[in-house]
Amino acid sequence: MNTSFRIDRRAFLKGLGGVSLALPILDAMGADVTDKIPRRFCAIYTANGMSLPQAGHKIDEWSWFPRAENKGEFVFGKSTEPLAPFRKQLSFLGGLYHPSGPKSDPHVCSDMWLTGAPLHNPKPGTYNSVGLDQVVALHTKQFCRQPSLVLSIDAGTGFLSRTGTISYSLEGRPIPAENNPRRIFDRLFRGDRASLKAERDKLKQRIKLVDAVAQNARALHRRLGKSDRERMDQYLTSLDEVEARLIASERWIDVPLKKQDYSHLNLNATNEGEPAEFYRNMFDLIALAFDADITRSVAFMLNREDGMGISDTFPLKLGLSRTHHNLSHATDKNGQMEFAKYDLFLSKQLAHFFDRLTRYKDRDGSVLDNTIVLFGSGASTTHNSRNLPTLIAGGSAMGLQHGTYWRNGETRMSNVYLSILRSLGIEKDSFADSTGTLSKSIFRRV
Amino acid sequence: MSMSPVRSLLTEMRGRLGMYFVLSGVVLLLATAVRAAEKPMPLEMGFDLHVRPFLKQYCVRCHNADKMKSGVRVDRLQAALEDPQLRLWENLRKQIGEAAMPPEDTTQPTIAQRKQAVEWIDRALQEARLRPVPKNGSVRRLTVAQYRNTLRELLLLDEDLTEVLPPDAISRDGFANNKETLQLSPLLLEAYLDIADKALQRCIVDPKSKPPIQNFRMDLGAGINAHPCPDSLILGADSLLLNNADFEVTQPKLAKPFDFNPFVMRTKYRFIEGYRGNDTVRGWRDFDSIYHAVYACMRGSHGYPKGRAYETVPQGLLLRPAIPSAEIFGVDSTYGPRANFKIAVRELPDHGRFRVTVTAARYNDGLLLDPGTAPQTGDGANVLVCRDNNMPLTINLERAGIYQVDVHTSQKNKPTELTLSLGDRQFTNALKQPAFLAVRLPAGPLDVNARCTGGVSLDRVVFTPLAESHETARQFAAFEKRSPLLGVYMGFRRDCGSTLAPVGAAQSVSSDNLARYVFEGSLRNFPNPDVEKDNVNYLAGIREIGVRSEYTDGRDRPRLRIRSVEFEGPYYESWPPPSHRNIFLDADPKDDPIAHGRKIVRAFAARAYRRPITQEEEDMLTTAFKNALARGDSFQESVREALQVVLASPQFLFLIENSRTPEAEPLDDYELASKLSYFLWNGPPDERTMKLAEAGSLRKSLDAEVDRMIDHPKFARFTAEFASQWLALDKFQVLEPDRKRFPKLTRHARAHLRQEPVRFLQHLMQKNLPARTLIESDFVMANEVTADYYERVGKTESGLEFVPIEHGRSDLGGLLSQAAILAGLSDGREANPVKRGAWLARKIIDEPPDDPPPNVPTLKEDTRMLSLRQRLERHRSQPGCAQCHAKIDPWGVPFEQYDAGGRFKVKPPDARSTLPDKTEVVGVADLKRYLANDRLDQVAFSVLRHLTTYAIGRSLTYREREELKKERTKWKAKGYRMKDAIRIVVHSPIFLEK
Repeated sequence: MNTSFRIDRRAFLKGLGGVSLALPILDAMGADVTDKIPRRFCAIYTANGMSLPQAGHKIDEWSWFPRAENKGEFVFGKSTEPLAPFRKQLSFLGGLYHPSGPKSDPHVCSDMWLTGAPLHNPKPGTYNSVGLDQVVALHTKQFCRQPSLVLSIDAGTGFLSRTGTISYSLEGRPIPAENNPRRIFDRLFRGDRASLKAERDKLKQRIKLVDAVAQNARALHRRLGKSDRERMDQYLTSLDEVEARLIASERWIDVPLKKQDYSHLNLNATNEGEPAEFYRNMFDLIALAFDADITRSVAFMLNREDGMGISDTFPLKLGLSRTHHNLSHATDKNGQMEFAKYDLFLSKQLAHFFDRLTRYKDRDGSVLDNTIVLFGSGASTTHNSRNLPTLIAGGSAMGLQHGTYWRNGETRMSNVYLSILRSLGIEKDSFADSTGTLSKSIFRRV
Repeated sequence: MSMSPVRSLLTEMRGRLGMYFVLSGVVLLLATAVRAAEKPMPLEMGFDLHVRPFLKQYCVRCHNADKMKSGVRVDRLQAALEDPQLRLWENLRKQIGEAAMPPEDTTQPTIAQRKQAVEWIDRALQEARLRPVPKNGSVRRLTVAQYRNTLRELLLLDEDLTEVLPPDAISRDGFANNKETLQLSPLLLEAYLDIADKALQRCIVDPKSKPPIQNFRMDLGAGINAHPCPDSLILGADSLLLNNADFEVTQPKLAKPFDFNPFVMRTKYRFIEGYRGNDTVRGWRDFDSIYHAVYACMRGSHGYPKGRAYETVPQGLLLRPAIPSAEIFGVDSTYGPRANFKIAVRELPDHGRFRVTVTAARYNDGLLLDPGTAPQTGDGANVLVCRDNNMPLTINLERAGIYQVDVHTSQKNKPTELTLSLGDRQFTNALKQPAFLAVRLPAGPLDVNARCTGGVSLDRVVFTPLAESHETARQFAAFEKRSPLLGVYMGFRRDCGSTLAPVGAAQSVSSDNLARYVFEGSLRNFPNPDVEKDNVNYLAGIREIGVRSEYTDGRDRPRLRIRSVEFEGPYYESWPPPSHRNIFLDADPKDDPIAHGRKIVRAFAARAYRRPITQEEEDMLTTAFKNALARGDSFQESVREALQVVLASPQFLFLIENSRTPEAEPLDDYELASKLSYFLWNGPPDERTMKLAEAGSLRKSLDAEVDRMIDHPKFARFTAEFASQWLALDKFQVLEPDRKRFPKLTRHARAHLRQEPVRFLQHLMQKNLPARTLIESDFVMANEVTADYYERVGKTESGLEFVPIEHGRSDLGGLLSQAAILAGLSDGREANPVKRGAWLARKIIDEPPDDPPPNVPTLKEDTRMLSLRQRLERHRSQPGCAQCHAKIDPWGVPFEQYDAGGRFKVKPPDARSTLPDKTEVVGVADLKRYLANDRLDQVAFSVLRHLTTYAIGRSLTYREREELKKERTKWKAKGYRMKDAIRIVVHSPIFLEK
């Protein structure tokens, strides 16, 4: 531990009153922030599964999972065709499932999607466990303004077992989602004075606390005599790091936002209007937030399980004959075709998002290359919690190798999640019920 | 010996030893020279002469940096035996001494070479053991459990805020409290800061405010509600509601010794999403009734083996034991147990303590007779036959006693359900035979009513008094002695069932008269639906309070009668609550805020740091308080800031034993107080121990303190922690048994079986029983659930309480045949003798097998067709596996008598095994006998070693292991009793010195 550095910095901070920080400190504090290219994660969820038509209907080309091959490459089905331009930046993954999935009530599959928790047998006093996006947030929050962005078609949390959010905190509690483009924009890009002040006050308070704790700890450290100092050193180093993170967060308040073009946004879009317009604006906001490094972890629930919420009616708005949940239950040819047409609609929105992420550039490539996008559902078709439809895009700068339809029998979703964490440079040993990483799949650096 | 090794050896010696070799040439001469000097050769020299060349020639080829066969590498070994290498050296000594290495098919050393090497190693080991290890105190982080307990006792706060903390790592010895594995990270520290912030917010209130308190009461009984809710209530899929007239909800006025704001529950609601059966319907609808905010519900699994799961009678709601459902989709009903009474509530406080009071009684019940019970003949003294079908009617019984009631119908084979009323008691069951009920009846007039469903008409009802010796009478006598067990649950409604957690332990309801049973908890410790405030869905965010008669093993048990259920929360006995007064003491801050603040901070920090604080600490903390005050924060707010510093301090988060010199120093009294209480209570010392420390008399009263701590309820924390870590019970916790093969290993049974080793150990400790009981005992610690798992061991009427029961069987007793251990060491499908063997070697006899080498080769042949014995033999004969497995498998083979669920097999296979010391044992009973007699010293050492390691929170050094061997002999002299083991540990220098 570099004590003299600490003391100098503290003195320096005090001298400046913490109002504005000189650049050398920013560099020392935030080497991680400035030197490293951001690594990001985005989870996008769609409820009720995808259309996987029965073979007898002879409409295989409408299957969401590719069912044909050409010259060793998979062929995009009609419902995923809009994604074809991104073939080299995405992969389909088959055979994935959560072992706890089939044991739990199928309506809770969205609650489990990012967590893998045994919802049929929760730990006493809990319901769920932490989700992948929040683990990412925990490890990236010190580098950006917001630990994470939790978005959904409906605001809030909904209610358990028919939740309106896919994001669960460290304690396994649902994190309320935001759904209004204007409010999201105002909060992220137009921080108002009152909330900035409140945030700054909170951070200052915390910094003061950490400061007092550190003083007290150092006094103890001096008194410890010959005692085992290893743990105390670890404590002081950790405290340094906590303080550094706080100061970095405080610093963000003053750092001007990256200059961006917002002219394409339509902030009047809401979930009650045109569905495509709503999704387009939500995706544009995510792309802008990534580009400005406002956050590195995003979870977005496109629609909810079991016909909950407004999005259930979107197929009707698009001229299809049944609601989303009803279409997902369809076994007749026409119903399965219509369900696929809704998949097609979602693919178009996704293609738009990928296109945005490709246009924004980091220093070493596109934002998409530095973002792992996970798109999928907690059921393959309604109430079937095996072979979860999963598409992973982006992240080629993190060793992801795309362009395939990968499957290897049945594979735990948690192993995919652990692989995602490792690709992001988060060296966890396990995630939920993972048994290892998928080193021989699309992940090359796990 | 061939020539070339000699030559190379000599070259080596010349190079290394220089001057010693003026005589040069022959090894023999040198040996003579050394002997002549009458002083043992310095270790370094011996190493260079005998050992290094030996290793180089025979070992390094396979055990080097690149190859590391079996994970062993000897090329770096030096003459100075470093502590971490002692085990390796011991192992080398064994391999060389027993001629196990080098492998048979390679060049072998001469006997003399072996002897020299072994002698040197023995000497060097001896010296290393005696070498003093510097003692530099210790700084050990609290484990998550210790931190939770400490925070709760310091702040008097029940709410568990530690959910965010990641679980502690497990050390090589299997313990979570090892100071090496208890790391600290920035994330953890951030979590500590957040928890401190939250905890203090919860504790500190505004004493002048009036707290809001919510309360309601539900009364239950057939037709009890004169003004039932006219709406039909809906609970979504599979809703089973009580008749609206059978329950009544009120918000009675509470009497409290302080001013408060009664929280009036909201009754007006507007929802757009509602339900018709299982279908969601849309459209705004207004609701205005307390019955849409609180309602009674029986939503659970359908049916009951005998009688009805529940019934409402005018005196209340009758519940039979709640038969658990696996609640796994596709396997079993997910809706919960059979007889699953719940109160659904729309609003509950967000946090704070709560109290649920159930007014209940044991129902003066009759025993529904089992299928196959013969009807009485209908004649004899005092038999009363009613042929009058004009029910109800009144009969007159000559004498009081146990009667069998037989009901004969006119249409024998027509399915029907009979409801029989005797006085104000009611019994309902499907009537498939005349023999219906055994019941105790008073003498005199008795109103009788009997109604059959399905248009079946009665022929006659026969009352036959039974002699006490009659089988049915004896069954009834046992039945009427039993009491229902009342359990209360808290959680929330799910679409497909509920997520509920028990509120404390079940309580036995033994009186036929109504009594009040109180259950308390902290709201946030229970599953919470976290619904948003502006929810528009009728079924969203519904909390549930479950009330059950607990199930044990399906034996007949009088029904539980619930008369009312009351809720109060947040529950305060006084205002401001103790958590607040505990911090702010009683003085008035107005006199001198600074002095008062200083006093508060000093008192709090001393409790948090578990010792008086230093002047420097006091000044620093007071400064934090004063700064906040100077900034304009309120007195309370300023105190809070200083306390937050305390709760994030290393003095609070760490157990510190401060050492001044590298020599061993005695612990000071405060350090000793903490060491004792974190050992025996897994939490902070209490006032009494602290007083002894303060008076400097803790050491003198050590034995008395230890006894007091062992007898205290908090000692259960020790047994729970120690047993689960020592015996690796976590493996059982996460077991996923094959339901088809082990239908009895339900979640319910597992939760109780998991307790068995813990309760067993606690019993041994508290009763100071001999350590051999760990291996062989003529009793098991069981409750009705676990006794049932072992096929009704002995007779227990203990309900859910664990009591010692004599089993009189050869397959039970001791730790080694407990299901939590044996099943935990399987994969839920097949038993695993290798895991069981390794567990026994590691945990029970302290002969830990070596870690498997990296890149374990798979067996070369396909062994699927072979028997287990043959497979293990293959295993042992394969080079690379053989070394370790010869020390593991023989211990595991006897356990083949037990299946993967931990029960003795119906047809136990051949379980002969030749142990590593060539002793032959046949099966587990024989193995136990052998361990409890021939190997008892070793078992005792293992107990002592694990106990000491846990007590001091770190692995033992080699020297300490040797010291412990002496402690073991002391213990042996006292008869190897379990409580004595704790006393031995606590008195040993390993524990008392830092």
